[in-house]
Amino acid sequence: MTGYLVRRAGQMALTLFLIVTLTFFLVQAQPGDYATFYALNPDIPAEVREQIKASFGLDKPLWQQYLVHMKNTFTGNFGVSFGHFPRPVMEVIGERLPRTVVLFLSATAVSFYVGFFLGKAIAWRRGGVLEYAATISGATLFTAFTPAFALMMIWIFAFKLGWLPIGKFLDPLIWRGAEVSANHIFSYMLLTAGAFVVFAFLALLATRKIGRFGTGRVPVLLIGLGAVAIPIAWAFTGVGYLALDILRHMILPIATLTLISFAGTMLLTRNSMLETMREDYVMAARAKGLPEKVVRDRHAARNALLPVITSLVYSLIFAIDGSVIIEGVFSWPGTGLTLLEAVRSEDLPLVMGAMVFIGLFSLLAHVIVDVLYVYLDPRIRYH
Amino acid sequence: MRSMGLITLCALILAGIALLGCGSEVVTQEVVREVEVVVTATPDPNAPSQAAGQTSQASPPTSGQQPPASTAQPDAPSPTPPPAAQAPASATDVSDNVYQLGISADLTTTNYWSYLGPDGTVWNLYVLGGTKPSLYGYSAQRFDWVPSLASDFPTPLTEETVGGETLWTTEVPLKQGVKWSDGNDVTAEDFAFTAHTVAELQLPGNWPSIVDPDYFDHAEALDPYRLKIYFKQKPGLARWQFGQAFMPIFSKAYWEPIVEEAKQSGDIIEQQKALFAHVPENEPTAGGYGFDKWERGAFAEKERNPGYYFADSVVKQYANGAYVESKPGAYEFMAYGEPGGDTSLEYRVGPNADSAIYSIYGSQDATVLALKKGDIDFMLNPLGLSRGLQEQLEGEDGLTVIENASDGMRYLGFNFRKQPMESKAFRQAVATLIDKEFITSTVLQGVAIPIYTTVPEGNQAWYNSDVPLIGQGLSRGERIAQAMQLLKDAGFTWETEPRVSEDGRFVEQAGEGLRMPNGQPMPEMDILAPSPGYDPLRSTFAIWIERWLNEVGIPVRADLTGFNLIVDKVFTNQEFDMWILGWALSPYPDYLESFFHSRHSGLEGHNAGGYNNPEYDRLADELLAETDLESARQKVFEMQAFLAEDLPYVPLFDTPLVEAYRSDRIGYPYTTSWGGLQNAAGMTELVLFK
Repeated sequence: MTGYLVRRAGQMALTLFLIVTLTFFLVQAQPGDYATFYALNPDIPAEVREQIKASFGLDKPLWQQYLVHMKNTFTGNFGVSFGHFPRPVMEVIGERLPRTVVLFLSATAVSFYVGFFLGKAIAWRRGGVLEYAATISGATLFTAFTPAFALMMIWIFAFKLGWLPIGKFLDPLIWRGAEVSANHIFSYMLLTAGAFVVFAFLALLATRKIGRFGTGRVPVLLIGLGAVAIPIAWAFTGVGYLALDILRHMILPIATLTLISFAGTMLLTRNSMLETMREDYVMAARAKGLPEKVVRDRHAARNALLPVITSLVYSLIFAIDGSVIIEGVFSWPGTGLTLLEAVRSEDLPLVMGAMVFIGLFSLLAHVIVDVLYVYLDPRIRYH
Repeated sequence: MRSMGLITLCALILAGIALLGCGSEVVTQEVVREVEVVVTATPDPNAPSQAAGQTSQASPPTSGQQPPASTAQPDAPSPTPPPAAQAPASATDVSDNVYQLGISADLTTTNYWSYLGPDGTVWNLYVLGGTKPSLYGYSAQRFDWVPSLASDFPTPLTEETVGGETLWTTEVPLKQGVKWSDGNDVTAEDFAFTAHTVAELQLPGNWPSIVDPDYFDHAEALDPYRLKIYFKQKPGLARWQFGQAFMPIFSKAYWEPIVEEAKQSGDIIEQQKALFAHVPENEPTAGGYGFDKWERGAFAEKERNPGYYFADSVVKQYANGAYVESKPGAYEFMAYGEPGGDTSLEYRVGPNADSAIYSIYGSQDATVLALKKGDIDFMLNPLGLSRGLQEQLEGEDGLTVIENASDGMRYLGFNFRKQPMESKAFRQAVATLIDKEFITSTVLQGVAIPIYTTVPEGNQAWYNSDVPLIGQGLSRGERIAQAMQLLKDAGFTWETEPRVSEDGRFVEQAGEGLRMPNGQPMPEMDILAPSPGYDPLRSTFAIWIERWLNEVGIPVRADLTGFNLIVDKVFTNQEFDMWILGWALSPYPDYLESFFHSRHSGLEGHNAGGYNNPEYDRLADELLAETDLESARQKVFEMQAFLAEDLPYVPLFDTPLVEAYRSDRIGYPYTTSWGGLQNAAGMTELVLFK
């Protein structure tokens, strides 16, 4: 396994190098450069634009710019963003990343949960009303034109019914006196989620080790208690109302993303379940007289999980680049919108920084999935 | 699995209940905060007349790219009377009013040096504008040049020998009692510090057009309230009155240590970076508001400056041109004639809002929904509203839609380095063939306004309506006949001349074999224009121009392409035949020199077409050197007439700017304003609450 991981690391480095090179030349292939931004301002004469180019290093030959960017990339210093001059690229990405990760991780988790639950159910009860309803509605929503659907959701739930806010991730009237920044809250939310996952994992592990508590409702109760403890802990921090405001703003984008994307997981789970249900061990489980629920959840569903988990891990990793459309419609300024704006304005350092992040996480996703396979399916071994 | 789901559900319900507990905390904190705001926003009645500067400042930078004209624009601009809104008895007598504005992009800096440097976006202007005083500014609506921090007009420019050098000098008296929000006086030292910092650090971006290193030598505080400025050469209106006199003034007490530290940072580029990198905290303001908070990607907030010097001052403009500004017990200023007769405008300066919040929305649709819902009072957008959104908002309860003349101009430009574009007859023939009225009224259904001069009609003080209107009012047949005559007179010939139908409405046979006066066949040419996705109006014009020129045998092709590609080909590489783009224009039209003087025809210069006319160059030089307002006006009129005939550009059209605000909550002293309310950054200091 170690040898395999080392080989994969080498492949990743090479792929990353190719990604960075390709990105650099793709951005450079666009007409003009960042100084074009100033070309149509009659107050800025040509010599001043030249000065601006010089300060951004855009007056250097292409190969020199390339070498500078490669050096920056592999030393972890992505330079200074042109569009947010003179803020370092890492600072800009670091500012946008938590917002995107919180929204899209949550949406992916909800979408996965809904999709998996429905997929399992419709595979088990084939031909029922639920299958037709879930499949037709899921497929319809899956093919919906995302910007129009998202705007429709806003129009119904935010504008007409007034239940939820119209986009953005916070309400300025609530936040204007806040002592902490939104990014602090996003970071704490991520920390909370991470801590909860670790707690849940440890709870499962501990109860399993203890043995007689490993089954039944004890681990579920422990996890439930952990879930209850979270909002109580937040309430004592004094900034719980700010987190609540962010959560309120997350409902509509998460609902939209879930409705648009749950069908993918649902159909994948259904197909995987249908294949698994034909396996001998499922028949054996039934023959042993196990309850249907146990056969479905512990024998069929668990084995059907492998391709679904693969899909989930990829989705989670790609959550870091967000979605330009969703971020745009819901006024959620994350990495997707940042990347788009950087490409439009030819903010080369920011584009490179964002693409390296996305590339790196994508490559990591592949490795994680490969490693995960070994644990999920003991039959798989890498040599 | 089901029990797991149930437990999770129960946990979520409990979590919801607990969070609702947090929610009650929200209400409590909100109330407390509002009380705090009221307390801090109320000035000490026993304090002496406290101060800050006027909102006017240097000509605002454009957002860089010429904004795309929206797909639908309204009819010709018409003044819209504002719904009645009552001003409070006094600007200091305000409740907790929050003026909520929507913007479509985030700030990129809160550092004012940087905003006028590499971060010159219109969004930064909207939020940061109005926090710095300037010596002079523009009056409302009429754009008269009026004192702001200055107490009167400057002394005439005089030649003086200083240290063996001949310099031009002027003295400016300053108002006394104007203070920064940290309690320090705003003095001549602040002006000198700002100008010297710009010059010494060679700040880029918009700064050189404000403090021109070719003109500015140094400034000196004769006493705290009397300033003397030294110029290397005699500055015209563009360099002094409409340039350096509009310079935003920074607090020396706050910025001097930061500037000194920046100067230790290495070479000049590093020094600039160090200055731009500074993130101001509690920077003193002298405007109606001070910058308070920036939640990146979400909103920015400016808080009312309780010591604003100009609060409660009253401005009166008379129909006879007179201008009066006064604040009882503080100052009174009169100019441009004796006040008398009808008052054309009267208002009292606020600010009436305790704070202004700028919420950032990701799309115009979301911003419009927020406006309709009442989440915001006004949306700031340099492009205004599209026709579709305008129709959505018209008739909506509590909303008022207004239209104003815009500060833009779209044009067709020629590359004078190539034949036949260098031929005046050819350019005039092209202008004759373009039926602007047909496109704007019939094809575009009135969303654009045809124009014939390079100064927008809305800029009343400088607009010359008496210019040659080439082609106006002609039928198709007459256009073709006139264009052919122009070309024939210049020596152009056809193998087959175009043939027009008897009723003169269409061309039966297109011209063929057109040859230039030198006998060479007319080359195939391209008109670069933005694609329909970027700007349907300009692409529509390009397509019709292609058709009309082809009819007489001029082989042109409309090349609808990306904006950046056009800018690259036209301004960077100058590889083109003709192009269609647009400009956002400042009130003082010194751009007539930037766009058409031959000295700007090099690569990356604004005279991308390479127009080179010594007679025009002379006029442009005279305009730059002109120091008298009325003489400058005559020159600008003359230049417009010259350009309308010589046609380095064929001015095509303009679009009115449509905006909307929540008239059930707010109002403005006036809404007729060139460039719309967005041009005044949403009038934060004048907005009135109901």
